[in-house]
Amino acid sequence: MSVSAAAPPASSLSAARAALPQLPRRLDPLALLALPALLFMAVVFLMPLLLLLWASVRAEGGFSLAGYVRVLGDSYYIGVIGNSLRLGLVTAFGALLLGYPAAFALARARGYAQAILFALVFLPLTVSIIVKSFGWGIVLRRDGILNWLLISLGLIERPLRMLFTEESLYAGMINVFLPFMVLPIYSVVRMLDPRLSEAAATLGASPLFRFLRITLPLSLPGVVAGLSIVFSLAVAAYVTPSLLMGDRYMTMSMVMAKAFLNLRDWQLGSAMAAVLLALAVAVVVGAGLLQRRLARHGQ
Amino acid sequence: MTTMPSLAVEATAPARTSAPEHLVVSGATKRFGAVTVLDDLSISVAKGEFVSLLGPSGCGKTTLLRCVAGLLRLDRGRILVAGAEITRLPAHKRNIGVVFQNYALFPHLTVAENLGFGLRAQGVSRAEAAPRVAEALALVRMTEHADKPVTALSGGQQQRVAVARALAVRPSLLLLDEPFSALDRKLREVMQVELKHLLREVGITAIFVTHDQEEALVVSDRIAVMNAGRIEQLADPATLYGRPASLYVLDFVGQSTRLTGQVMESAEGEVTVDTPLGRVRAPGLFLSGSQVVVAVRPEAMMLDGVAAGMPPSAGINRLTTRIREVSFLGSRTLLHLEVPDSGTTVNRALIELPRLPEGASPGNPVTVAFRAADTMVFPAS
Repeated sequence: MSVSAAAPPASSLSAARAALPQLPRRLDPLALLALPALLFMAVVFLMPLLLLLWASVRAEGGFSLAGYVRVLGDSYYIGVIGNSLRLGLVTAFGALLLGYPAAFALARARGYAQAILFALVFLPLTVSIIVKSFGWGIVLRRDGILNWLLISLGLIERPLRMLFTEESLYAGMINVFLPFMVLPIYSVVRMLDPRLSEAAATLGASPLFRFLRITLPLSLPGVVAGLSIVFSLAVAAYVTPSLLMGDRYMTMSMVMAKAFLNLRDWQLGSAMAAVLLALAVAVVVGAGLLQRRLARHGQ
Repeated sequence: MTTMPSLAVEATAPARTSAPEHLVVSGATKRFGAVTVLDDLSISVAKGEFVSLLGPSGCGKTTLLRCVAGLLRLDRGRILVAGAEITRLPAHKRNIGVVFQNYALFPHLTVAENLGFGLRAQGVSRAEAAPRVAEALALVRMTEHADKPVTALSGGQQQRVAVARALAVRPSLLLLDEPFSALDRKLREVMQVELKHLLREVGITAIFVTHDQEEALVVSDRIAVMNAGRIEQLADPATLYGRPASLYVLDFVGQSTRLTGQVMESAEGEVTVDTPLGRVRAPGLFLSGSQVVVAVRPEAMMLDGVAAGMPPSAGINRLTTRIREVSFLGSRTLLHLEVPDSGTTVNRALIELPRLPEGASPGNPVTVAFRAADTMVFPAS
């Protein structure tokens, strides 16, 4: 977190500090403000996490990597990891495809139009994922609304199987996670100076050239943030895949739940959890580095 | 520094070259909702000429600039550049350069990449663009900063990059929207002269938008004073300062003594006006009894001791009052004078002197003199 980062150099505080170079540089007192949150996270997140990691390597005799060998050495579990990664990637890029233009509309809209668009982005967040996933079931069932509609319109003759397909899972996942793509992109696009695009136009740049060389590169930090958030959430998703696909499409979280709740196999569950954690951390850290590079380039 | 133009009212304006009209705007009208921002406005600018659009915020000057650049569409009217109609062309097909108020440099590109952007956008290959970018860099003396990110530059350097970026594509016309407003006063004065010199060398036609009258006087061949979507007066700086067409222009360009009064006599092109400070004679055609404002530029006024040497036939106005406040400005001193009945904001009197005279302190009596020929009369609004 940036809380411990030094205050801007222009501030009188750091100016005073710079005037006393002989004093050892001490922790910024502002960093203490993060302490309550750090303590809270230590108790509810760090401790269980360490216990989990410990559980993943604990064995009868003491220490063992058997759990990891089972997860990474078994083609079934590799397939599960592949399922999760594919789900994460498809969801993230699908949400990007829909969310990127939506974020621009949100940033450019004014007054009532913006309020309505904001509501459209936020309202789905207020509906529980379980309710939403059941809703999808109702819409996509063999005798569901979508099939009824398509048959009524004469577009199809027999109901299509839409529920329990991978496509329906992707659609459901994108629906659930779209707001997490729109908001970070919106917050970057909102700050873009429209005069940059105008300046490019007066230099002879066509609308497409303007988008590719000005708007797109300057909005990339938001895109990277959105992709990493949605990917992290989607790769670990449990409820939506379970309800829309069930056992037909096992994800890492579903394997973990099965291992802990049904099989009581702590070694398997915690090793799978550790692998998921490593994937998520790699994505978040990688995205963070990419964002810093983009930000430095775009300063 | 600002060099005040010649003050003689009769001075002839510098003969303008009769170059063909390069930019012609005719009947330009633009409305935003119920507000008319440009009101049937027309203006022509000659090739190589520098024209300023001067006016307070909301007078329509930036809207006019954006319409010429193609960033806004006119509701009515036409725009021609070099004889070709561009009214309906989108901005990227107009080849009109713009220097934006905040410069709008591309923050993710280096100085050289900013300068090359327009060339690349127009399909010039990287290899062909390189020498032209180098040329543009040299033009604004930024060669050594070519590979720096633009965010690492000072305000003055950013302005130079913005100008060079606009010039690199060889536009037919350069529009500058308050190009000096982001610079501090000292730098601004340097850059005004430097930029004027640079643009003159390039030989481009330029239109400046500004609300700063001193800036307009420094950089322009002609100034269009704008008011509520119309051009109130379009003239060279000397004429604008010496013979403002209206109270509005008088107000906007330079300082002046202004006294409201009533015309007592009117004969042979001269009026005698009864003002709160006494009778003032001035050239003008007004009916007796009409309400007017008489105005004198501060440097056209003298202390009575100086004026005593003038022949009495010179048509000298003399007013006696007290000194209200003294403003020492280095190279000159302004004396603000008491005006009885200054309940209206119009009335004020000030005299500019090369040096602070003895005994000039607030409260002391003073008699000022000025030639009737230097006195302007406007109908009271």
